[in-house]
Amino acid sequence: MTAGTQQLIGSHRPRREDEPLLTGNATFVADIKLPRMVEATFIRSPVAHARLIGIDVAAALDSPDVLFAGSGADLTGVNAYPAHLSFIKAVNQYPLARDRVRYVGSPVAVVVAPDRYRAEDAVPGVIVDYDELPAITTIAEAIAPEAPLLYDDWPDNKILDFPASDPEVDHWMSTLPLVKETFSSHRQSANPIETRGAVAEYRNGRLTVWSTTQMPHIARTTIAVVLGLPESKVRVIASNLGGGFGSKNYQYSEEMVVAWLAMRLRRPVRWIEDRAEHLISTIHAREQEMTMEAAYEPDGTIKAVRCDLYTNQGSGELYIPGVTSSLVSAGSLTGAYRISHSAVSVSCVVTNKTPSGAYRGFGQPEAVFAMERTIELVARASGVDSADIRKNMLLRPEEHPYTMPSGGIIDSGSHIEAFEMTQRLAAGKLAAARDRHAGDATKRIGVGYAVYVEGTTPTYFGTTGFWTSYDSVAVSVEIDGTVSVRVPMPAIGQGVESLTSTVIADTLGVDEDKIDISLGDTDLAPYGLGSWGARGAVVTTGALVKASNEIIEKAKLIAAGLLEASPVDIELSEGKYRVKGSPDSAVSLAEVAVAARANTFLLPEGVDAGLESTAAYDPPDLDHFPDSRGKMSAAATWSNASHAAIVVVDLPTGIVKVVDYVVVHDCGTVINPTIVEGQIEGGVAQGIGGALYEHVVYDQSGQPQSANFSDYLLPSAVEIPPITTDHIETPAPDMPLGVKGTGESGTIGGCGSIANAVADALSEFGWNVTATPITPGDVRGAIDSAGGPAPWDHAEHGGPR
Amino acid sequence: MSSVEIHLTVNGEQVSAHVEPRLLLSDFLRDRLGLTGTHVGCEHGICGACTVMVDGAAVRSCILFAVQADGQQVTTVEGLAEPGLMSPMQESFRQSHALQCGFCTPGFLMTLEAEDPEDWPGEAGVREVLSGNLCRCTGYQSIVKAVEAAWNREDAE
Repeated sequence: MTAGTQQLIGSHRPRREDEPLLTGNATFVADIKLPRMVEATFIRSPVAHARLIGIDVAAALDSPDVLFAGSGADLTGVNAYPAHLSFIKAVNQYPLARDRVRYVGSPVAVVVAPDRYRAEDAVPGVIVDYDELPAITTIAEAIAPEAPLLYDDWPDNKILDFPASDPEVDHWMSTLPLVKETFSSHRQSANPIETRGAVAEYRNGRLTVWSTTQMPHIARTTIAVVLGLPESKVRVIASNLGGGFGSKNYQYSEEMVVAWLAMRLRRPVRWIEDRAEHLISTIHAREQEMTMEAAYEPDGTIKAVRCDLYTNQGSGELYIPGVTSSLVSAGSLTGAYRISHSAVSVSCVVTNKTPSGAYRGFGQPEAVFAMERTIELVARASGVDSADIRKNMLLRPEEHPYTMPSGGIIDSGSHIEAFEMTQRLAAGKLAAARDRHAGDATKRIGVGYAVYVEGTTPTYFGTTGFWTSYDSVAVSVEIDGTVSVRVPMPAIGQGVESLTSTVIADTLGVDEDKIDISLGDTDLAPYGLGSWGARGAVVTTGALVKASNEIIEKAKLIAAGLLEASPVDIELSEGKYRVKGSPDSAVSLAEVAVAARANTFLLPEGVDAGLESTAAYDPPDLDHFPDSRGKMSAAATWSNASHAAIVVVDLPTGIVKVVDYVVVHDCGTVINPTIVEGQIEGGVAQGIGGALYEHVVYDQSGQPQSANFSDYLLPSAVEIPPITTDHIETPAPDMPLGVKGTGESGTIGGCGSIANAVADALSEFGWNVTATPITPGDVRGAIDSAGGPAPWDHAEHGGPR
Repeated sequence: MSSVEIHLTVNGEQVSAHVEPRLLLSDFLRDRLGLTGTHVGCEHGICGACTVMVDGAAVRSCILFAVQADGQQVTTVEGLAEPGLMSPMQESFRQSHALQCGFCTPGFLMTLEAEDPEDWPGEAGVREVLSGNLCRCTGYQSIVKAVEAAWNREDAE
């Protein structure tokens, strides 16, 4: 880091973006209202699988309020989404379904009217003729020999199929004892409280789209390709999102259609998704089955792992393709454990459900659930304490960098220390829970652990099919010494504005109130890949430090001229450029800026006017394509953490309550601990929701059963317990400022730790928890099948509570 | 569709308008009055993001019609403090990092504004009063801290 004089980095501080959010003055996409703006509403398939025979919009067009009604065939000049990935089958997707629908919620037509009320009034006037086809909803149905095919030109229903074999794995499997089990993760929905939406305006030959995308530049590229526009004529603004968690990482159909409509109608068009639409048409995630085999030594140490991983990808009609979270599951499976050999096959199958893709954790929660349960099974089979097995297998600090069998390179970490700290913190919480319920025969208390690494700053492939992970910023010093920073990443709650302000203030040595920051506007900021993959703190910091350093180097040259000194004698100290040894001989950044931007005759020879930098940071040593065995280094750095869940299980009802939760976390250098703790706590809440409450349910015909918040249960303040967080800081050796990233971490340990805690609490019944969510019905079923007490057996203790 | 004339007070200002009977209070506040601080998260009365106060009670503006607010006093997040200032609860939210994306935050603030701390003792009481509002970012712990601090609870940090 350059001579920072303020040292804001590392201190607990409130965020600078909060005031407009607290006072109702922030602008979200749904708040944008433009002159002559009209509103769109989408007609969606009510059936899971059908051929589209015909769409008749005549009756809708009869309404005097309707400005447009049309289907896919009416979207003239619209191209299919690109297909770049050579190793998956192409779905040939258009923004509105053209000949076939493959899930309930698939958009098939659109109506535009002056406002949403009138647009929805016209929806019954759109008549769609569906010729229904058999629907498949499960992985088993999709891979059955005579399964109906979702895509007529595919030989099967596998959009991705990576076999895996390793003779070393086979060797250990045939010589050591094994445990084998299938672990099922269930379908979930990220559900940011702000749904998706878009507003588009076409004016003077330029298209502007305000979007809820987490990746504004990639949205711009995609809109240009799909609508056939020069990318330079498209502007995407995504400054402020009401949460994303991965669900807004995709370039959805509605956004393309709204942009097309704005061009066709020459009027601004707005579309804001409602929650029922969100729960069927915004991506789902996590529905995955992992059949694990682990070969272990007598001391419980796992020598080799084999896993067959199947993901229910939904219809697959998603851009960018949603398959990569399964590859991350496979790549991160062995975590920070010294397991030298693994073979993980990955099959992603299409079904008649909503497309599946990213949700905070991105394949890692599912992998950790499978791995951490497997360790418990090995402990049971070998008779060795699971904590000892973990400590024996966890990497020691000196073993880094460590190449995982999947090709990932864990750069550094504090795995054993984090686990031991978690154990110490959890012991007190466990004892307290036991005290609270002492003598209550209806309750069982348990603790469960999950230890993992989080690959952060991963690579992205959507634009060309080759992976990259860079990001950019533009920093400009204005004539009065204030600083404008243009960051391509949107604010999605992660605190990128505060991060930017902190890093610029520390590196350039300016007061934060002199820094202006704009976010997520493709006309202002240089190209960036967006906010996802816990990447912002690494790549944005990297770009900011680089830009600051370039400005400081130039400012030193200018200051040397102004102070009649040699550039090598100039230093930045306490916000001023000073001559070393004579600190009173100094100029401010504003004085340098005046010379750079106005009084250019003061500039030294060879120094151009201007004081700004556009800088990009590209993390080193990442692979840009998997090797022939599917292995690659796809994450720039690795955070690590250890979780402990303490649960109370009510035997009569089967209700599981998480009563305490401990996280010891290491994300390298912490820029603002307040923000990191917030990320962890929020992630833990999503982990608890995923383990116990949240479940996207379909019936056998592919009809969604959870399309509102009465059926899809988000946890509230009474379901989420106190969360204790502690930090270890092991700086990333190769990242700017040693930062590692933390956005997804809190969620990753949820299912693993809670499943282990429930199994611990119910150990007398021998329940091997193999599936999530863990519902009261599951718990009662486990107690019943073990011959445990019936609910009414507890009546003498006061009955079910 | 026929319209109905309504007269109400919004954040202390008299408002008169012709509205369709079916117009939701949330859409009236946001689209007609430009008070976009009231956010719409689920439109079926569960998430609480759209909470406003009507005659002192916290209500879900997404399941109330504008005509139902006729003759009443409506307060939105924009009315919690004078422009440029923040209420003690707003300031406590900032100090405790009780918001991340901030989309649900106005609903939490309006729920709390309508409540008497005496009715919600202890941390359990705070969690109970918050339980009708969903936050997807914070995990609630920082919100609980913010409320305890603003309500001058002894156990607040």
